[in-house]
Amino acid sequence: MVDLIYTVVSLIVIVPLALFLGVVYSFLLRKLSARFQWRVGPMLRMYGDLKPLLGTSRLLQPLYDILKLYGKETVVPDVSRRRLFVYSPYLSLIFAVAAIFFIPFPGMPLLSGVPYSLIIASYLLIASILFTILGPIASGSPWAAIGARREVELFLVSELGFVLSIFAIAIARQSLVIWELSKGAQSVYLALLTVTAGALMFAAVLGKLHIKPFDMPEAEAEIVAGPYTEYSGKLLGTYYLSKAFLLYGLVALFISLFLPPLATDVLWLPLYLIAAFVLVFLLTAVQVLNPRYRIRNAINWYLKVVIPLGLLSFIIALAIWLVV
Amino acid sequence: MSTEIKILKQVLSKYSKPMTLTYPSTVAPERRYSQIPEGLRGIPERDNDKCIGCRACYFVCSGRATSIYDKDAKRTVEIFLFRCTFCAHCQEACPEEAIKMTNKFEIAVPNREDPAARVITELDLLKCKNCGNPYVTRKLVDRTYERLMEKIDTIVKETVSNDYKKLDGYCPDCRRAYGVDFDTHTKKYVWLEGV
Amino acid sequence: MGIMDKARIYSPWLYHLHCGGCNGCDIETLAALAPRFDVERFGIQLVPSPRHADILLTTGCVPKQFIPMVKRVYEQVPEPKVVVAVGSCACGGSLFYDDAPENYAILGHPDLLIPVDVYVPGCAPKPEAIINGVVQGILKLAEKRAKK
Repeated sequence: MVDLIYTVVSLIVIVPLALFLGVVYSFLLRKLSARFQWRVGPMLRMYGDLKPLLGTSRLLQPLYDILKLYGKETVVPDVSRRRLFVYSPYLSLIFAVAAIFFIPFPGMPLLSGVPYSLIIASYLLIASILFTILGPIASGSPWAAIGARREVELFLVSELGFVLSIFAIAIARQSLVIWELSKGAQSVYLALLTVTAGALMFAAVLGKLHIKPFDMPEAEAEIVAGPYTEYSGKLLGTYYLSKAFLLYGLVALFISLFLPPLATDVLWLPLYLIAAFVLVFLLTAVQVLNPRYRIRNAINWYLKVVIPLGLLSFIIALAIWLVV
Repeated sequence: MSTEIKILKQVLSKYSKPMTLTYPSTVAPERRYSQIPEGLRGIPERDNDKCIGCRACYFVCSGRATSIYDKDAKRTVEIFLFRCTFCAHCQEACPEEAIKMTNKFEIAVPNREDPAARVITELDLLKCKNCGNPYVTRKLVDRTYERLMEKIDTIVKETVSNDYKKLDGYCPDCRRAYGVDFDTHTKKYVWLEGV
Repeated sequence: MGIMDKARIYSPWLYHLHCGGCNGCDIETLAALAPRFDVERFGIQLVPSPRHADILLTTGCVPKQFIPMVKRVYEQVPEPKVVVAVGSCACGGSLFYDDAPENYAILGHPDLLIPVDVYVPGCAPKPEAIINGVVQGILKLAEKRAKK
């Protein structure tokens, strides 16, 4: 009974917490990439004389963006398929939030203990991204169609890496429950697997979040705003919201699968946050140091990296399963 | 990969110092503005005391930003900054050096009628002694006389000076209509040709 | 002031509409968005689609062929919106506009088509002047509310 109440309370607590962390991660993405470019970026501490007008801190800048979009007029194009266009962002948000329920946070196992939670979480993450493709296709804009098509192609290859990496871990540990995976004991062989499958997962996260070399779905100045071209106001805000949840979810999943004990006990919280920030820093470094790939190059790159790394991970995973 | 490492090294070497200026804020005045060059042509400024309303700036203005109109015994000389290309032709043309390009550039106004968008000088017009119509500014008459006296030949100087004073205060129409009554020296131009 | 009003001031997104002109103002506008002036300090971002924008930044005098596009882009920007005209051409037509003998190709300032909220004269205005104009635009944005 106590466990049930704790789970329900933590499910309610995790949503604002995940939103806050997702917003902080995307703030860090923006701030760090600004500092990489010798800029200031969104200001953590506003200039003294501008504080009354522009606020004291911009730590929650992505949240302000979302709130502003909720306060704006929403335009729905006449040529769009109205229902799919309007409901896609909300469905994307719902699936992203649902995925978060299956990923543990230090001190909160949430629903990650249920059987097959790894598969459920990965399906929900995929569904969330699927609705960022379906909505734009329904908008009737050629730019959105091109962006969505690019996203489908990118999605297929990046998802391959994602699935290979999580199943390599699952085979090695013989478990499909995230909670069990996230508290598993480390060994030398598992560390080796963590490196290869972790690299694979990192590459997949790049594709899922449209970090720089793989940002061709929303290539600015090339295909307007890609999938989001026709979205405005509340609907765009909802997409941004689901992006923030997705960022949190993928980072949390990465930590819980590849840095085992960090996502289990509340005592690990500081280390968990440090690991998350390091991960965001690495994402930013990749974003800043790379130009945008063409879709063909991106697929080639994924196939060149994903297939060898995936096969390597699988061989290691099978060896661990059979031998150790 | 090697290029990326090179870029990363370069980025991290100056990582601690962003090169961003603090523009709208005044917390660090030395880092507020970017370079403001010596000869920057900013908003033109007119010295109201020096301006004589001679229209020289009006004739050279390429964007038709300068306009001059007479109304209610006042001559208004104005530069409409929305049409100004900041070319400084008026500064070159001004005989009195009344117009100066400043290096101010921060200007943003909410509507077309805003006074900040115009550089305005109002000058009083002289009224004709005969018909009472306003026709020219006092300063223009005086400065024309001064400049005339500076450059004119000594032989005709006194005659011209006397004639000028006789005609002073009458509008061109009245001068034409009552030309005989002024009793000006008709031969002065003939003398001038002979010199 | 509610959180929504604050959010409106904290994250104004720019859409840069170049309608005719010599590119001088565009270069200065891009300079204002570049690291030296970095408007992202105040949450200002350049967005690629007018549907995402709060502030429409226009440069240049409007050629007659461009009239429908200007109107359409303005209508695509969702309320509340603010238009900032940058440069003398966008403010008053500058060299290109005349009332009396009408130009065969050029309409003049975009003010003839769409309501402009802030004018930034200059040929071209310095990046600081553009930032100043955008800040005034933000203040106007704070006064506006979304039409329901």
